[in-house]
Amino acid sequence: MTRQKRSHHKLKRAVAPYLYLSPSLLIVGLLMLLPMVTVIAYSFQNSAVLRRDPSFAGLKHYQAIFDDPVFWASLWHTLYFTCMSVVFHMTIGMIFALMLNSDRINPTLRNVLRVLYILPWLFTAVIIAVIWRLLLEPNGVVNSILMQMGIIGSKIEWFSSPETALHAVTFANIWAGYPLFMVSLLAGLQGIPKDFYEAADIDGARAYQKLIFITIPQLMPIIISISLLDFIWTMQVFPLIWITTGGGPIYATEVLSTYTYKLAFSSYNLSQASASAVVILLISLGLTLFYIRYQRAR
Amino acid sequence: MAEVILENICKTYGNNFNAIDHLNLSVEDGEFLILVGPSGCGKSTALRMIAGLEDITSGSLRIGGIDVVDMPPKDRDIAMVFQSYALYPHMTVFENIGFSMRLAGKPKAERKKRVDEIAKTLQLTSLLDSKPANLSGGQRQRVAMGRAMVREPAAFLMDEPLSNLDAKLRVQMRAEITSLQKQLGVTTIYVTHDQTEAMTMGDRVAVLKGGVLQQVDTPKRLYESPVNAFVAGFIGSPSMNLFEATLTGDDLISGTFAVRLQDEAFIRRPGLRSYAGRKVVFGIRPEHLYDSSLESGRKYQTIPAKVTSIEELGSEHIVHLNIDAVRVDSGDPDAVEDFGRASNAVAKFEPVSTVRSGSEIQLGLDDVKLHFFDPETHLAI
Ligand SMILES: Nc1ncnc2c1ncn2[C@@H]1O[C@H](COP(=O)(O)OP(=O)(O)O)[C@@H](O)[C@H]1O
Ligand SMILES: [Mg+2]
Repeated sequence: MTRQKRSHHKLKRAVAPYLYLSPSLLIVGLLMLLPMVTVIAYSFQNSAVLRRDPSFAGLKHYQAIFDDPVFWASLWHTLYFTCMSVVFHMTIGMIFALMLNSDRINPTLRNVLRVLYILPWLFTAVIIAVIWRLLLEPNGVVNSILMQMGIIGSKIEWFSSPETALHAVTFANIWAGYPLFMVSLLAGLQGIPKDFYEAADIDGARAYQKLIFITIPQLMPIIISISLLDFIWTMQVFPLIWITTGGGPIYATEVLSTYTYKLAFSSYNLSQASASAVVILLISLGLTLFYIRYQRAR
Repeated sequence: MAEVILENICKTYGNNFNAIDHLNLSVEDGEFLILVGPSGCGKSTALRMIAGLEDITSGSLRIGGIDVVDMPPKDRDIAMVFQSYALYPHMTVFENIGFSMRLAGKPKAERKKRVDEIAKTLQLTSLLDSKPANLSGGQRQRVAMGRAMVREPAAFLMDEPLSNLDAKLRVQMRAEITSLQKQLGVTTIYVTHDQTEAMTMGDRVAVLKGGVLQQVDTPKRLYESPVNAFVAGFIGSPSMNLFEATLTGDDLISGTFAVRLQDEAFIRRPGLRSYAGRKVVFGIRPEHLYDSSLESGRKYQTIPAKVTSIEELGSEHIVHLNIDAVRVDSGDPDAVEDFGRASNAVAKFEPVSTVRSGSEIQLGLDDVKLHFFDPETHLAI
């Protein structure tokens, strides 16, 4: 009797955590795993979704997108867009964080700058896209300032000329994304013991030596974590590009997400779109595994 | 190698707080000087001003004959050991010790030679490739020492370097630092709040209170002739007992007891006679109070006391007592207020003493060892 009771109690204790987990597992399963598996399945079918009884296609759709120069252009644009974004997010975030953390700058000014620098973070991708479309219009503010300063001779169509479009969207994305880096790095900077710098002062370290030998190594865990996360997020950016350039002009800003979207909803080639989506998934997955491995190693 | 001379150094922090008030101190070449005082008295401030980490509000500071008031820390030819050690967690022991040489652009071979040499002195050779996180407290402490030694500075500055160690290790490192300092012969200024460290390590000890220097002397002189009641109470453990009494003729009278003073007491202190008929503060160290029932205590005059509690430490008994006198506060904010209503005096008895808690005893008092202070100014008479 008592033994039965005890084993019952044990069972309850063993099962309880899974009971608590089950709602979230259910949601993850329904909203993430199921669509993921479905998309993977589509990528191996002929005329997926469009036909009732799609036939097995093998790797045909993968072959098709790998043969498509636009896919490779998109991949290249994605990498350029992502790498530039991460590098400049990091650089700008670091510079601003160092400025905000420096006690050589007046505290009141520092507080004002802090608010100012964080502003881009308050806007959603759509608003950012609209802001930059207005700013970078041929008759917009940026052109008129650059012309006044004599840097450019004629009005540039930033988003609609193939030479500048990719740089322009990358620039907008850099502007939109550095505050996360700035805030994270600032928190990290404030956590570095003052003693480290004082000991270095006594040892004769110059400012750049303190940066290289103390600040950056101390911030390394943060730098690596947020860079990897930013890489994963930026790879998948869609709204900003969709609203500013829509991938154009003539594929000049086509990235994997817009490429896939167009395959699915302009060409209704859902099978190829799925194959392209799976490629994005694999790249993201690789980066995520890298991130998890790094997190675990620490 | 150099002497460090502070003249009228003052420090006022941004919030108008005077942390150091006209500090005059001269540390001789090769001397081990201890700066001691209760926490918040300005020891770290003083040390950080010498290091150049804190601006000097006014006064002059010379290291090795050179005025360094306006020099940045790196040009002052000093090395500092921090309370936290300030070891870089991402660097190995080798890199930590060799850091200043690396900053100076010294070639790797030269760095290695010097760091190996120091590691040998400090018994760190086998740990050179470890990171600080994998070291014990004592080892980290030694790495911090090594980092200070590497540049062969004119002076070492140490801010409570042992306060993060456990009691046993602290005793051991105390001896290690002292012998290392003697061996290197480098002028050293060592800050601590621990009077035991001060008494055991330093050639001379400077006692600081509220930003004001009280006395600079050898440990022996501080113990035997404190200039005021604060120093008397601060130096020695347990603290000196301080009481109020009235000087009447040759007798010190308080409540129901009297202590007869010998002529010598007056000869040694010409000022004492002028307190005749007035209040005076007298002090007696716990080790100069005796159990009069023992052979060792028989020769002293006695006063009545009640035992309130006893701490048996093996080598001695710390006996808390109550005597019929008003206790005087030495002004040490760190002093543990262990005097409840029941007890107002502490004595150190030999372990053979059989006094029991609660018993009334006759307390032997070595009147030659009495100290006298002015009741208002607390200055020694
Ligand atoms: N940066 C500062 N600004 C204002 N007051 C300070 C500052 N640093 C220390 N103090 C004050 O100066 C006094 C002495 O401090 P410190 O030198 O650190 O004492 P200690 O090392 O003897 O414990 C303390 O009362 C402390 O509160
Ligand atoms: Mg201190």
